[in-house]
Amino acid sequence: MKMIHWTMAILFGMVITSCTLSKTDYEAELSTAIPETTEFEEAFSINSNGYQIRVNALGGTFYKGYNELHFEITETATQEAIANATVTLLPIRTTTNAEAYSCPHSEVVAFQTTDAYYEGYSVFDVETDTDASWVLYLSITVAGETFNLEQPIEVAEQENLNLNMTSFTGNDGVQYYIALIAPVSPSVAENELIAGVYQYNEPETAGGDFPDPSQFSFSEVEGATLLLDPRMPEPNMGNHSSPNNEDLTQEGDGLYYGVVNYTMTGNWTLNFIFQNAAGDVIKGTEVPTDFTPGVEGEKSELYIDILF
Amino acid sequence: MMKYLLSPLFLLASLVMNAQDQETTTDSIQQLEAVQVTAKVKKSIATAMKMNISVDEFLASSDNISFIKRGAYAWEPMLNNMSSERATITIDGMHVFGACTDKMDPITSYVESNNLAAVNISSGQQGSANGATVSGSVDLKRKTTPFSMQPKWNGSYRSGFEFNNQQFYNQGNLAYADQQWVAQGSVSYRKANNYSDGNTNEVAHSQFEKFNASVGLAHKTGKLSSLRVDAIFDQANDVGYPALPMDLWLSRALITSATFKQLYQEGWLRAWDTKIYFNAIEHYMDDTTRPENLVHMDMPGWSTTYGLVSKAHLMKGNWHSEMQLNAYDNLSIAEMRMYPQDRSERTMFAYSWPWVTTRFAGLSTNNTLELSAQSELQFGGALGINYNYSKYIDFNWIFHPGAPQEKTRWLPSLYATYHQSIQQFDVAIGGGYGHRAPSVSEGYGYYIYNSFDRYDYVGNPNLKNEISYEVNASAGFQNDKLSLKAKANYFYIDNYIIGKILNMGSPMNYQSVGVKGYTSLAYATLFNFSLDAGYFITKNLQWKGMLTYARGMDNEGGNLPFIRPLSYQTSLQYQYQQFGLQTTFNGDLAQEHYSPAYGEDLTPAYAIWNLSADYTFKLYHFETTVQLGAENVLNQYYSTYADWGNIPRMGRNLFTALQINF
Ligand SMILES: [Cu+2]
Repeated sequence: MKMIHWTMAILFGMVITSCTLSKTDYEAELSTAIPETTEFEEAFSINSNGYQIRVNALGGTFYKGYNELHFEITETATQEAIANATVTLLPIRTTTNAEAYSCPHSEVVAFQTTDAYYEGYSVFDVETDTDASWVLYLSITVAGETFNLEQPIEVAEQENLNLNMTSFTGNDGVQYYIALIAPVSPSVAENELIAGVYQYNEPETAGGDFPDPSQFSFSEVEGATLLLDPRMPEPNMGNHSSPNNEDLTQEGDGLYYGVVNYTMTGNWTLNFIFQNAAGDVIKGTEVPTDFTPGVEGEKSELYIDILF
Repeated sequence: MMKYLLSPLFLLASLVMNAQDQETTTDSIQQLEAVQVTAKVKKSIATAMKMNISVDEFLASSDNISFIKRGAYAWEPMLNNMSSERATITIDGMHVFGACTDKMDPITSYVESNNLAAVNISSGQQGSANGATVSGSVDLKRKTTPFSMQPKWNGSYRSGFEFNNQQFYNQGNLAYADQQWVAQGSVSYRKANNYSDGNTNEVAHSQFEKFNASVGLAHKTGKLSSLRVDAIFDQANDVGYPALPMDLWLSRALITSATFKQLYQEGWLRAWDTKIYFNAIEHYMDDTTRPENLVHMDMPGWSTTYGLVSKAHLMKGNWHSEMQLNAYDNLSIAEMRMYPQDRSERTMFAYSWPWVTTRFAGLSTNNTLELSAQSELQFGGALGINYNYSKYIDFNWIFHPGAPQEKTRWLPSLYATYHQSIQQFDVAIGGGYGHRAPSVSEGYGYYIYNSFDRYDYVGNPNLKNEISYEVNASAGFQNDKLSLKAKANYFYIDNYIIGKILNMGSPMNYQSVGVKGYTSLAYATLFNFSLDAGYFITKNLQWKGMLTYARGMDNEGGNLPFIRPLSYQTSLQYQYQQFGLQTTFNGDLAQEHYSPAYGEDLTPAYAIWNLSADYTFKLYHFETTVQLGAENVLNQYYSTYADWGNIPRMGRNLFTALQINF
């Protein structure tokens, strides 16, 4: 009978044995390289002319790249939200030798009735530095009365490379900006890729009082195409790419939509060839498609690196 | 006391385990000629040449099993020249699925020769009882000790040494039986170094180490009923796969079952046994032993299966029937994590099996109708339902956008065989039809590197069922001295699943040259033929011969890969009282019908000569056998058509073996 006890002890021992190595927590894996998606929080607020103007950004911080901005205007006395104001926006960066630049931004901020705030964006192209200090100029018109505000701001380094951006001078001499908007947190999947594509419009007339919006004019690029070739630049990945990607084309909201497939997590380079509406190449070169293990992947002259 | 012991057992049983029968109701249909149990090593598996062998070596002695070999360990069995996903391989009817995307761990690698009693091989749709199949089924039968009128202990000890790779093994079996209880256990441990090929060059990364233990406990719950719980634990460490770019660090399997069996003395229903089972496999590959590897990668895999098998034996007059219900749930997970050159950078992660669930339920029947003393009809069929779910379907969408996350398939099967004996002759002719669902890799695999053709393989969730149409025939003759048997089968397989180069995507594994997707060919055909002969030259001297031929073609007349060329084996066995002498000579002709598209090249012919002698005597009152032999006596350098990457096989190998029964 001892044998039976013994057998049973072994049976038990066997059943309780569990896995030696633990499985990867995939959801956690996806977010390791991506800062936690934050809520819209107050970046600053100003009281002026009997109104409170609150500006909200993701995490209450302005980052290099595309920033969606929410504006709330409240009448201080009544604590009533104001819906019919006109808000214009102008970010200005000043260098140490007092040169002023701007960046792509929405000039007029539209009111979102459902959420009761004004929505706009700004694509900050340079982080705040000793040589770059940013000021946000706002012009607000409520009930026929206009008042101007200015607020110095900090532009922080973009922590989420999936919202990375690039700016460049095209073959046509125009200054362009491409900023990633989505996916904010990609996965190993087909990801809808959204980018804003902007250009700087040289002023046609001499400027008026500083800051004169006509001197800092940007617009969405119309009807262009971004040919996409995503690759993993890591030498160990040998210029690995993915199938079924779709080039980015413009849709009704002015943004550019495409599809990027990421086959695994890690560093990816989005190689672009930027064609204007006429099909002329404005910027970008084709990248080799060979599988070259051990060699860092070559990049197009127009690219954006991401990481997830 | 017994009650207290029993309750945790029931708990155990209900939690996890599967079951198994004791006095295996011998079903003559399922016995296979090739699977012989020599009297000497009763209740254990062995070949004529070698009494203590691995499960792989044993299977290799069957004329319709061939092997893809990636080293010295865990050969992948091919039934009727078809890869393992076309067969159902079970342990006592339990489904166990390997956890390796590279097929390093066929189910046969999780058992040991000393815990198996027999292997039942059924060809084609005759094997559909255990689940949907195309090529047939291989059921590994565990050893079971019957209840005994008197309390009885018995056991055996086996040991041996193989000189070529310094393989040393020790195996012990112990069993206790009385009227109410049976307890049995087995332990086996083998360890081998690298082997040397026929040029006496060491084949690096061909070592292995394997530990296997099994326990079983049975209790008679009534005059005609019993409950049995079983478990097998298997662990392999540091196993080299010389043909692959990586080795195995650790592989572990826990295979458990609980079986309730009820016999009936009257009526149609004669026996009913029901088994619930659970098995968990973990598999961790290791490439750090290969400095030539540019990229370090972790590739762990897990496979967990729960299941139920319930089988009823019915008998009425000249009709015998077996009805079987099979159900299981398997979850297969495989990960890959690649390390960048600069280790401080972020690692790169993907699933090679994105948490794929397979659920299967099937009802099958096998029938024998004795039409006369000379003729009988066997017929049967099955209807199964197969469900797949890919948790991270996003991975599959990269190559197959919009593919369904869940897929349900119906898997029907039918077969019939007519047997007729005319005096010393017997002939049989039969046909079959059956579906199988794509395997986890074929349906949902993601960048699984195949080092044979050097492509990364991607599964396709939309693959159609593979549909097999099969005809088979056999003819035999037997008298006191001579036996002859010829068997042939022909498969026409619709939607034959195989990897085809995809003109999209790019390799992920750095040795890879491209991406192949599992694709359905319009059809493929396979023909298998075997001829077995035996002749008693004298009472003590027996000659045996075997010849096999196979041909596999795709719909364009191209060759299918891994089809065995004409092969032969001839052997002489001499037995005089306690002394036995055996010699075999076997080989393959050149593989002329090779498939370059799948990385094959022409494998030249080879022939191997083996020799062994044994002697049985009493040591005190224990029956003891010693054996001494040599494989590949002439130290030929060769590799076979199915040696992955043409790795050479073992050169001359002297072996010794000892077995003591008590
Ligand atoms: Cu493996």
